[in-house]
Amino acid sequence: MTTPDPLAGWRSNPFFVLEVPTDATPADVERAGQRLLALLAVGSANAETYPTPLGPATRDAEKIRDALAALRDPAQRVLHELWANVAPADGPASGHSNAGPCAGPWEEAEHALGWSGLWAR
Amino acid sequence: MTTRPLYVGIDLGTTNSTVAVFDGEEITLIRNNQGSVLTPSVVRIDARGNVVVGARARRFLDSDPANTRSEFKRLMGTTHALEFPASGTSRKPEELSAEVLKSLRQDVADQLGVAPECAVVSVPALFELHQTAAASDAAHRAGFERVELIQEPVASAIAAGWSQSGSNGPWLVYDLGGGTFDVSLLETREGLLRVVGHDGDNFLGGRDFDRALMDVALAKLAADGIVIDRANSRHAQALRRLQVAAEDTKIELTRATQAPLFVAGLDVDGQVVDVDLAVTRAEYEAAIGPLIDRSLAICARLLAANGLGEGALERVVLVGGPTVTPLLRTRVRAVLGADFGEGLDPMTLVAQGAALFAGTVALDGRPVAKAPPSTGPKVWLQFPAMTSDLTPFVVGKLLEQTNTIKQVRIIRSDGEWQSDPTPCEADGTFAVMVRLLPRQNTSFQVQGLDGSDSAVPLQPASFSITHGITLGDPPLSRSVGVALANNRVQVYFNRGSPLPIRRTFVLHTVETVHPGSEEHVLKVPIVQGEFAWAHLCRLVGTLEIPSTALTAPLPVGSEVELMLELDRGGQLRAQARIAGIDQIFDRVALLMTPQVSLETLADAQVKLRTRAADLSRAAFLDHSGKTAARLSAAMPRLDEAEQNIKAARGGDLDAGEQARRTLTDFDALLAEIEAEQAWPELGRKIEETFAMAVSWVAGYGNEAERSTLNNTYQACKRAFVARDSDEVERQLAVIERLGVAAYFRHPAAWEWEFERCAAGVGESTDLRRATELVAKGRDAVRQRDRESIERIVRELWGLAPVDHDEQKLGHGSGLRMR
Repeated sequence: MTTPDPLAGWRSNPFFVLEVPTDATPADVERAGQRLLALLAVGSANAETYPTPLGPATRDAEKIRDALAALRDPAQRVLHELWANVAPADGPASGHSNAGPCAGPWEEAEHALGWSGLWAR
Repeated sequence: MTTRPLYVGIDLGTTNSTVAVFDGEEITLIRNNQGSVLTPSVVRIDARGNVVVGARARRFLDSDPANTRSEFKRLMGTTHALEFPASGTSRKPEELSAEVLKSLRQDVADQLGVAPECAVVSVPALFELHQTAAASDAAHRAGFERVELIQEPVASAIAAGWSQSGSNGPWLVYDLGGGTFDVSLLETREGLLRVVGHDGDNFLGGRDFDRALMDVALAKLAADGIVIDRANSRHAQALRRLQVAAEDTKIELTRATQAPLFVAGLDVDGQVVDVDLAVTRAEYEAAIGPLIDRSLAICARLLAANGLGEGALERVVLVGGPTVTPLLRTRVRAVLGADFGEGLDPMTLVAQGAALFAGTVALDGRPVAKAPPSTGPKVWLQFPAMTSDLTPFVVGKLLEQTNTIKQVRIIRSDGEWQSDPTPCEADGTFAVMVRLLPRQNTSFQVQGLDGSDSAVPLQPASFSITHGITLGDPPLSRSVGVALANNRVQVYFNRGSPLPIRRTFVLHTVETVHPGSEEHVLKVPIVQGEFAWAHLCRLVGTLEIPSTALTAPLPVGSEVELMLELDRGGQLRAQARIAGIDQIFDRVALLMTPQVSLETLADAQVKLRTRAADLSRAAFLDHSGKTAARLSAAMPRLDEAEQNIKAARGGDLDAGEQARRTLTDFDALLAEIEAEQAWPELGRKIEETFAMAVSWVAGYGNEAERSTLNNTYQACKRAFVARDSDEVERQLAVIERLGVAAYFRHPAAWEWEFERCAAGVGESTDLRRATELVAKGRDAVRQRDRESIERIVRELWGLAPVDHDEQKLGHGSGLRMR
């Protein structure tokens, strides 16, 4: 059983994944995503990790596409901007350890622990 | 033409099909041997077995309807075989679609001298997975080696976006084809085309307009004493001839206020009848009004789902033959309150968009070498074949280890621009930003630079990029998941998820499967729909693990790592890995809608009517006018299903298919209303669940959990007041989770759980194993070995009995979550 990472959702903030600032234009976001997808396609090892305030995280094509889809939606983008901007330079701020726009690994944790449907039994 | 790319796009329509090609700059519509860009999707097979497609086949719809088939697109992905009695053969709908595609491929070859090997074929956005698979199969049968599918509204949007750039607000593609209705909400910002969402009805199209007109004609004939009955199989031929005539009358009524409907020598019960009727536009419009309203209700639903109100749309793009109907245009403009996109041909827009899409994914259909030969070290280039970005990145990797190339340079073919020398990384990769020429196809040369900055040729030496639009990933139109043995659905992909997508979950078998036993198959049903109950979702495929293929027994509770993957066109791939025996299964069988007998459908229709009547009565007793009105508004769909079952008895396969779907939708509606009527019960459930959770969280939770529980309870109550059942269920699940987490922190929790499992051991799916586990568990309890108790309980959960009624409803699934 793996211990769920409560910060996984925050680490996967699309701005971190795509390595673009929160004021990037839609064209900048697309260009960054297209570049990363291409780098991953040719097998660039550098493209497989990205920096976050909590240290490096890994990304794949699916994560990049999800990040692009999230930032294309203006409503989602606003939320992600908010969460990307609350990150302090040297670590997570208090109060957002298991929150954020992405719910994190709760669902997987529930299944891994065998909780699903247990209450009903 | 062969010196330029050949991007082929095909609109495989219910009534007509079209093929377009794009060469990187211009789109050309391909004409068939009759000189038309529209090829009727009609196939005839004569007594000698000769196959004729298109207009030449359509002519026989009237005189030889038994051996001439049309409108088979709506039957794709079903097990129906269409008979051709003269030749004594039968063909599956996808085989007939393959004939149409083959004919279009030949038209390209005749006009351009090249038979394309790749193509993009459009499919309705709401096509289910088995229908998508059938479309892909048809294209392969037609001789295309590589096929990409594109959702029709996305194709229309690309074509509309290509010719009308500069728009920034939301816009709508209203696509009413021969057999299907798709509506898509789109947004274009800085050249990026994004499908915000879509909706539609797979069984609403021009064909239904024909039917409505036929009903007018049948009523007029009945008034003259000539009764033609849809339910009478002896009238099937007469009905088909009438339908062909009705289609012509319908077209005429778009221009005239009155049109004749004439069929000579119609055989009705052995009597020869000349049908000569006059139909007014007013009569026709009265008949099709409800169908147009149905489409507009779907548009309203889509706009509401995306928070858009009246007047929010910038424009509406009309696609499909039926959209030339004057009444439709008037109603659409009045209800949606936006102007129509100008200069767009509703009949060919989809094919044009499909060809443009082939350009964006670089699906060049030329069968020969696509670039002149070059020498030098090989480089792997990645770049967008089409983009709205004037300065995109070109990424590459040197495939051969060479110490000579230190940098690369990219030079635009017009000589007006070149990149700075860009160093290669240690692994040979590089990324260069290039500058495109606006609104055209720009060619570039790529060259390596050695230590002294001398040019080294690379292969390929050149590439090109078209400046146009960037297409956002299309969203999935319906959620996809796996049915479980308890009739619930493990959702893999939610509606709206961007495609392509892939996800893996670990599921567990509910019973032991021994290798070699012929009759035993472990079923993994794949379903599509928005319901939590599997039986309300549509079964679109089954991944079967036959016991004959197993190399070792698969004990109950075995882990099955199940991966589902969907590509951009909605094609499904599934793979099950059984970790215990290290075997992989990936054959999705039965990716077809099984045929349901008309008796079963009729029986279901009667039962649904009774259920609806009971719910209606309950709604009146509860003074729930809203529910009663909802039921009353839905009843015509049930009447329609009844009529369709009758028509299917008369030989109309499409009507049977439509009835099946209408009944499933109606069943889902009743389930929704039943859930609403059980609303007070849900209120009690919230209180009970919260009471249970709070008692554990208070004792064994931390401060954050206590606070979360309280907030979740408040959110749950708010959702209850707002009558948002999905949100209530979501919040309830969180409450349960918090309670369960705290419960298992109690030092005796696993022991209690063990005792509960031990009490029910007699019902286990593997009694021997369960008994063994209980004995081991008793020892562990005596020794206070909590770790072992926990492990044993987890295994016992996996052996819990299956409710066979629920399993049957869950499409026979052999899997469950832990």
